[in-house]
Amino acid sequence: MRGSTITLNKRQWLRPDLLVPLFQRYGLFIFLIVLIVTATAISPHFMTSKNIKDILNQAAPLGMAAMGQTFVILTGGFDLSVASLMATVAVIATSVGRGENAMVIPVFLISIAFASAVGFANGWLVTKRKVSPFLATLATMIVLQGVRFGYTKGAPSSNLPPAFRTFGTGDFFEVPINLIALAFLTLLFAVLLYRTSYGRRLYLTGGNPRAAYLAGINTDGVIILAYMACAVLASLAGLFLVGYVGSVDNWVGRGYELDSIAAVVMGGASFKGGQGGIFGSLAGVLVLIVIFNLVLLLGLPVQAQMIVKGTVIILASAFYLSRRR
Amino acid sequence: MKTLVQRVTRRIDPSIFIVTGLLVALILGGSLLSDRFGTLQNFANVLEQCVSLGFVSLGQTLVILTGGIDLSIGALINLTSSLTSGFINGRAELLIPVICGVLLLGIAIGALNGVLVVGLGVHPLVVTIGMMSVLQGVTLVYTLMPPGSVPLSFEFFAYGRVWGVPFGIMVMLAIFLVLGLFLKRVRLGRYIYAVGGNIEAARLSGISANRVLIFVYASCGFFAALTGVYLVSRMGIGDPWMGQGYTLASITPVVVGGTILAGGKGGVLGSLIGVFLISFLNNMLNFLDVSTFYQWIVQGVIIIIAVSFYIERQR
Repeated sequence: MRGSTITLNKRQWLRPDLLVPLFQRYGLFIFLIVLIVTATAISPHFMTSKNIKDILNQAAPLGMAAMGQTFVILTGGFDLSVASLMATVAVIATSVGRGENAMVIPVFLISIAFASAVGFANGWLVTKRKVSPFLATLATMIVLQGVRFGYTKGAPSSNLPPAFRTFGTGDFFEVPINLIALAFLTLLFAVLLYRTSYGRRLYLTGGNPRAAYLAGINTDGVIILAYMACAVLASLAGLFLVGYVGSVDNWVGRGYELDSIAAVVMGGASFKGGQGGIFGSLAGVLVLIVIFNLVLLLGLPVQAQMIVKGTVIILASAFYLSRRR
Repeated sequence: MKTLVQRVTRRIDPSIFIVTGLLVALILGGSLLSDRFGTLQNFANVLEQCVSLGFVSLGQTLVILTGGIDLSIGALINLTSSLTSGFINGRAELLIPVICGVLLLGIAIGALNGVLVVGLGVHPLVVTIGMMSVLQGVTLVYTLMPPGSVPLSFEFFAYGRVWGVPFGIMVMLAIFLVLGLFLKRVRLGRYIYAVGGNIEAARLSGISANRVLIFVYASCGFFAALTGVYLVSRMGIGDPWMGQGYTLASITPVVVGGTILAGGKGGVLGSLIGVFLISFLNNMLNFLDVSTFYQWIVQGVIIIIAVSFYIERQR
């Protein structure tokens, strides 16, 4: 609770007219900074290099998932199958990988191909069959869950190629490897979103599908590609998360579908589509992870994370809405 | 006579006929495939098992009719079931006060969902995801394990039979009848459709859309709490994780029954038949020795088929 009440005070304190536009534009980033400063002031353990590394290690997989979710939410949909796909890919990592480092590249390729197919199925249902994104991705989620459990019979496995462990927890010159991966993917997808015509078409399709269609954009194709991008990023998130966790229990990534949606919405996206962006979503991810971390550093029970998370999700999205009016 | 039939059938949504047809086909097919499926005993069992799904789906139907969604159902079931058995703790004299309190709590939390949706203007999905997280956290602060106990007599709600009919299903059918009439005959019920169809038009024609929205979320909270109480009666104890699957499970029968997520179209009859369809399907797959894992796949496929079929028909 502490984090959110402090922000409310800050908001009143920042009331003077000059600061309001600045705050409205960069609200979540300012909130993130306030949160980090508060955390540093409250707990001496927060600003230690080990803790920062922990935070970033945890943020990387969720960041990848949220980045993918951003693409889909920009089209005016959302993807509930993210977590189920992450867990399915984790199962692929153990069953194809069989604990051998030589299989790492095949695992990545198979996972990405599999995810592309799942993303295509989602996009196809949403565009060509006009199924609402909620139901299409819900159905995919359940089907993947069935396929995964049917294959593993529910048994956990830790037969992971050791290299994944390095990807998930290792450092490269003191920088977590999965953070480097996230940075690389961010660059790649930021270029795709902000510097290519596909990005423009995506924003236009999300903002006004009819206008986009009339302007000659293949809106169905744009939307299908967005679902595929989301699925591919989710599969990468799954592979890095399984490296961080170290074993596969059929539920790897559980809760990531809702957390990623929450992060994206906190980052300024709207379910109506056409609004939001990658960097806002990443800031949303950091806010969530820093809050989790802060709750633990304050010695509050783990359950308090959930209470604080829920409150922050609701308040942050309310804040963004009030900005738009 | 013919005109009467025509008048009646025209007023029923065609999707009802489709789900009913599927249900009949399923029951006939199941009876052929397994001789234990088509017995009265088994039917009574299935009806007993579908009560909890029925409660949550009826609540979810109201919310979906307004174009919203409630994802906090599972967490609310966890909270209410834990509180019920934790507070009663075996004392029969506390049964009624605690149950009333828990149901009121469900209404209050549901109403809070509604107030947040209306007051903050945040999408219901986000509000109820947030609420889910808060409620689950509160539940786990209260208890990490199944708490307390309830007197044996309380099992009547779940296992009691009146003239051979499970008591729970009678309660569910009674609630269904009331809700069905409410949606068709009562002004507030009609307003739910109006708000779901076009909220701006509803506002302009003088309907207090906010009040309608708060009402549906409060009702959904009530049904979630009722499910929590029912599950305590069924399991003999509350559990901080017992409602987990109900959030998404509550949506399947609603959409299979022809209520569309955009709101304004559908009704409780479709959801009720949807509940029967899902319950009989799972039961039949159990008899055929199909594992739960493959039952999930079947459920996902059914959602896709049902929904894309309805959409196709509407165009």
